[in-house]
Amino acid sequence: MIIPCYNEAKVIRNTVTEVLEKGYTVVIVDDCSKDNSKKKLRGLPVYYLRHRVNMGQGAALQTGIDFAKRKGAKYFVTFDADGQHDINDIPGMVEYLEKENADIVFGSRFLPGAKTNVSRSRSFALNMGRYINYLVSGIMLSDSFNGLRLFSKQTADKIRITENRMAHPVEFLMLTAAKKLKHVEYPVSIHYSDYSKAKGLKNRDGIKILFEMFLYKIFR
Amino acid sequence: MNITIIQIILTVCIALIAVYMYMRLRSGLFDVILIGLFFAAGTFFVLFPETTNDIAHYVGVSKGANLFLYSAILFLFFLILKLYSRLRRVEEKFTELVRSKSLEEAEEIFKGTPSEQEED
Repeated sequence: MIIPCYNEAKVIRNTVTEVLEKGYTVVIVDDCSKDNSKKKLRGLPVYYLRHRVNMGQGAALQTGIDFAKRKGAKYFVTFDADGQHDINDIPGMVEYLEKENADIVFGSRFLPGAKTNVSRSRSFALNMGRYINYLVSGIMLSDSFNGLRLFSKQTADKIRITENRMAHPVEFLMLTAAKKLKHVEYPVSIHYSDYSKAKGLKNRDGIKILFEMFLYKIFR
Repeated sequence: MNITIIQIILTVCIALIAVYMYMRLRSGLFDVILIGLFFAAGTFFVLFPETTNDIAHYVGVSKGANLFLYSAILFLFFLILKLYSRLRRVEEKFTELVRSKSLEEAEEIFKGTPSEQEED
């Protein structure tokens, strides 16, 4: 379980404790937090990696994936630190991945069965996003900016995230398409707290992501 | 021949750039020749701007200044693209560096020394 974090001192311990209770191995990638995120993790049985310089969430994820590969992980989960995901979704995702014999499962807050308190404007922005993602990657997901994903070791070997910042969800899609990975979607709950709203992507970040995607396409 | 103020300014600027390039590159004969050519051509076109019109007419542009502007925009755009791709390559290498460092230093927090484990 890979949890990238940047200045998440307030919530990181809660998030991580919940994950640990379910018995998952946790890799924290601290993207050079300026707060005392590390102190908050004291005593918890987690792997802790720290970027010496702030590189962005995409970079942190890839670092975590590299580390988990070294540790011989079988399944890789990307999980946001802000507590918006529900750990109880994971077993279902694993089951679904195995049942469908898929390479990667994308969490989706918009599939039937998902519980979410996503706002209307966010819904709209995410909806725009998925069409744009479809245009660039050729893959249509119901929720293409969900931080919760699960994939196998073979998939982890095939993909490499080079979009250091916010465009990495799109890169996941592009790599999935490029490597012809079998992908499925699974309904997951998203709980937006005031904290995660303040911390997470803003709707206007969409513009930045567009720009980064544009550069990615040019310089690939 | 009447020399206008802008011609003086431009000539001085070109001369300064040439001197600066010479100081930066300094080395080889080739550089000196290149800088010399740049200086000569630049000064020539500044002092005899009508000559650029002939070139412009030849390729189908009404004025020499316009032709120069078009090519300058294209060249600058090309330069920006080159710089951007260079920047991305640098960032990729930098990421690898930071990543390998953090992988080396990966810790298992629960194995920390007791003093580190005190609650704050």
